[in-house]
Amino acid sequence: MERRSLIKMMGVATAAATTSLIAGKASAQDKIVIALIPGLTADGFYVTMHKGAEAAAKATGAELIYQGAAEWNVSLQVPILDAIIAKKPHAILIAPNDKVQLIEPLRKANDAGIAVVCVDTFIGTGVFQTGAGDADFPISYVASDNVLGGRMAARALAKAIGEKGKVYVSNVKPGISTTDQREEGFKDEMKNFPGVEVLETQFNDDDANKAAAQFQAVLGRVPDLAGVFGANLFSASGAANGAKQAGVAGKVKMAGFDAPESIVAQLKDGTFELTIAQHPAEIGYFGFMAAYAHVTGNPAPTAIGTGFSVMTAANIDDPNINKYLYKSE
Amino acid sequence: MATATTQGNGKAILLRIAELRAWVFLILLIVFFEVWSRAAYDVTFIFNPYNIKAITVAATAPLVLALGQTFVIISAGIDLSLGFVMGFASVIAAHLANYAAAQLGLPPFPAMLFGVLSGVGMTLIPGLVNGWLIAQLKVPPFIGTLGMYGVARGSAYLIAGGMTIAISNPWYSTIGNDRVLGVPVLVILAAICCVVLHYMLSQTRFGQHTYAMGASKAAASRAGINIKKLTIKIYVLSAVMAGIAGVLYTGRFSAGAPQAGEPLLLLSIAAVVIGGASLFGGSGTIWGTVAGALVIAVIDYGLVFVNVEPFWQFIAVGAVIIVSVLVDQAQRRFMGGRQVE
Repeated sequence: MERRSLIKMMGVATAAATTSLIAGKASAQDKIVIALIPGLTADGFYVTMHKGAEAAAKATGAELIYQGAAEWNVSLQVPILDAIIAKKPHAILIAPNDKVQLIEPLRKANDAGIAVVCVDTFIGTGVFQTGAGDADFPISYVASDNVLGGRMAARALAKAIGEKGKVYVSNVKPGISTTDQREEGFKDEMKNFPGVEVLETQFNDDDANKAAAQFQAVLGRVPDLAGVFGANLFSASGAANGAKQAGVAGKVKMAGFDAPESIVAQLKDGTFELTIAQHPAEIGYFGFMAAYAHVTGNPAPTAIGTGFSVMTAANIDDPNINKYLYKSE
Repeated sequence: MATATTQGNGKAILLRIAELRAWVFLILLIVFFEVWSRAAYDVTFIFNPYNIKAITVAATAPLVLALGQTFVIISAGIDLSLGFVMGFASVIAAHLANYAAAQLGLPPFPAMLFGVLSGVGMTLIPGLVNGWLIAQLKVPPFIGTLGMYGVARGSAYLIAGGMTIAISNPWYSTIGNDRVLGVPVLVILAAICCVVLHYMLSQTRFGQHTYAMGASKAAASRAGINIKKLTIKIYVLSAVMAGIAGVLYTGRFSAGAPQAGEPLLLLSIAAVVIGGASLFGGSGTIWGTVAGALVIAVIDYGLVFVNVEPFWQFIAVGAVIIVSVLVDQAQRRFMGGRQVE
């Protein structure tokens, strides 16, 4: 946590310094405008990312435009991107809905002289400004390392079950870069715990009802099931409800991913043993700052990795942990 | 099955067979999983009360949605707004229960009641609008309810601020997770809904008129049935059932979620069709729909229980729907019933 706050302070300090340095330049021209296009609008994760970007906009005095589609869909995101390009902001922060399909639409922005920063998800390989490939034009990629998030979940869950027993991953569907990476990190890290056996992954299509039934079916076949890792919110809450219905809540340990405010009560009543909270506000904040630095003629890092917090019933009331809950307002 | 007043005797027999078909199918599936489970793991599948409980609980959410959808489909309509009307109700039920407890200072039980009644009550709005669009403005059901799908979805997200709304009310949790004499409360409530809607469909004039309208709107109108009023009633009923499904979801997951019913909409239609209803209207029963919902739940649960590669689940449910409709077509041809193209 200490490291985190330090970086944040440095960010603010840098921003303040930058502001004073380029004050003359900025006032000579129009106000700096930076747009944020989330992966989808109806999601606490992106709502919180928006807050972080707003904080950065306030700190720099630049203007933030926030526009996105209600669902995760390339054919909805691209028209919004085109509309934003037409407004000619100085930079666009975007969580691209697809690695490949967003390359050409974003190149249009780049060709129009608009700086592109990828937040949360990426285009191409996610490695930018290398001169290699056709999708390295974004100036920076700011995101959580989801493989690391999966590893942290594995370590915390292994500890909770005494480093032995059977576990499985409750996941959405294959092909989503972030949830795939969490599963990959989780399974890979669990290899370090020889007493833990990882069973076949269950895909629930983001349907909590289905995730609950799948939990019960796995438990029916494997009565000594020790734990479950839910790779996203609906997977985790669905599996947790399955445990409640089966009367094994608290006995089979649940590890979740993401941290809406509802998680607090569920950690306290034992529905969840732990959850891995990303820091979306940091993604929004540092994404905005990277774009701002670039626009004002300062160097920006080509990759910024933001952190995670492991939340448990024991630490959730700690303000240093509690502040990472995703908030709608 | 008192549909004989407006339909021929042959049709009634046909309906009975169509209804039985879904149950025969369900039994075959259970036998299939029982054999597989015994062969592979040497354990019973269906004689384990734990499995029965899990399957019936899994079936409740799509089933409650499908009950209202049964009326709509019998009347030759379709209601695509159900999934998000369910989410809309779920969000309101959670939000207002929280409001009642925090702002009005109500104790948990009345706060829960307030949330439940408002959640279900507010679904009258999308139901009435759907009915009005279809009956009065002659908007095709597919388009009208697709519009409402968007409106209900947006409203739910707005109310919830794009998040899920957490609640901590022990009474909600009772609805969603407790048992009475070993039977989950969810299953009891869903069973009550089934009995009430079965009565409405088979024993009341409203039910008979619904069949008549689905068989032939023109004939029903000539027979003196007020089609407009009937249409509005059917879509209101369907929205209210989605509201009940939403409230049950809120209880079960201790949260209101705008997208609660999104994956359930197509399952609800599938349950009605597997249950023997025709998308062209005029046939279908509540007990058929019950069997349809159980068929889907048994497939989903059974394949995980016997540890089949997850993607087979999609193929299995899809195949069952296709086979079900093919058998239906064959039956109609064999019985000399109305040909549908």
